[in-house]
Amino acid sequence: MSNAALVAAVTVITVGSRIVATAVLPTPHGATAEVVRRLPAPLFAAMAALSLVGSDQRGTPALVAAAAAVAVAGRRSLLLVVIAGLAGYLLAEAVR
Amino acid sequence: MDGTARGHATVAAAALPVAAAIGVFGVVYGAVAHPVLGGELTVVSSIAMFSGAAQFTMVGLLASHATAGAVVVAVVPLALRHIPLGALVQHRLAPGRVRRAVVSSLFLTDETVGLALTRQAPAARTMAITGGLAYIAWVVGTAAGVAGASIGAAEEVAAALFPVLFIGLAAVTASTPRDAVRAAGAGAAAAALLIAAPAAGVLGALAVAIAVTCVGVRR
Repeated sequence: MSNAALVAAVTVITVGSRIVATAVLPTPHGATAEVVRRLPAPLFAAMAALSLVGSDQRGTPALVAAAAAVAVAGRRSLLLVVIAGLAGYLLAEAVR
Repeated sequence: MDGTARGHATVAAAALPVAAAIGVFGVVYGAVAHPVLGGELTVVSSIAMFSGAAQFTMVGLLASHATAGAVVVAVVPLALRHIPLGALVQHRLAPGRVRRAVVSSLFLTDETVGLALTRQAPAARTMAITGGLAYIAWVVGTAAGVAGASIGAAEEVAAALFPVLFIGLAAVTASTPRDAVRAAGAGAAAAALLIAAPAAGVLGALAVAIAVTCVGVRR
């Protein structure tokens, strides 16, 4: 398979899965709907763990940034969490 | 500025840091993929796919001389992540309007879904604005990477920003104390799993999130 054909195949998988998930699958009901209602926070927390732990390129500054973000997560402000994370990162870089 | 324009500006302001980080990764992808795919196909891949995870996986495997079949097998689990993401926003995208849902689905990413769930603006509009900015940043970044641009330390900052962003999205979407407890449990369990078994990857993290969410749900 040529690289161009492979790019086409991966495009079909990636774009197709988005369309199926959003426009084709039925709207969930009952217990499934309850799971979907509860899912966002655990899903994003698991994605945070994946992006933090699932790469061998993360160092101490990234861990400090994540810890700073967690420290203010209770305020439930996306902007505040991002600012705290960046501040944590810059602080860890400064003392490294 | 009227209410709609102010709403657009608010969504765009929230999306800009995300788009900037995605643009930095676009530069990295362009630089990494150029020797593997060639310049034109590298840019075409970003225009067509708009999926950093799938594209980095594809190029990484091709660079290590993997077969096309191996690339496809590796990309499918990444695509499965779209199923729960789509379920989260499906009912917010004007149910019954298939064309709008299809257009919105082209911008279905972790970041756009997270912002769509946490904004007052209609989900379709939020996904169009955030997804559009992120898409432009990704494609322009890729072209810049192919052209030889270098972003130095910005790559490390951008890499550190993604976990922070997901933590913020988890915090904002945790609307009850129980949601917060479930999020903390899912994050800790996923981290433990990925440290013990790194190969579990995105499917492992996804399974942990769904398992934690299902605790206590009545059938």
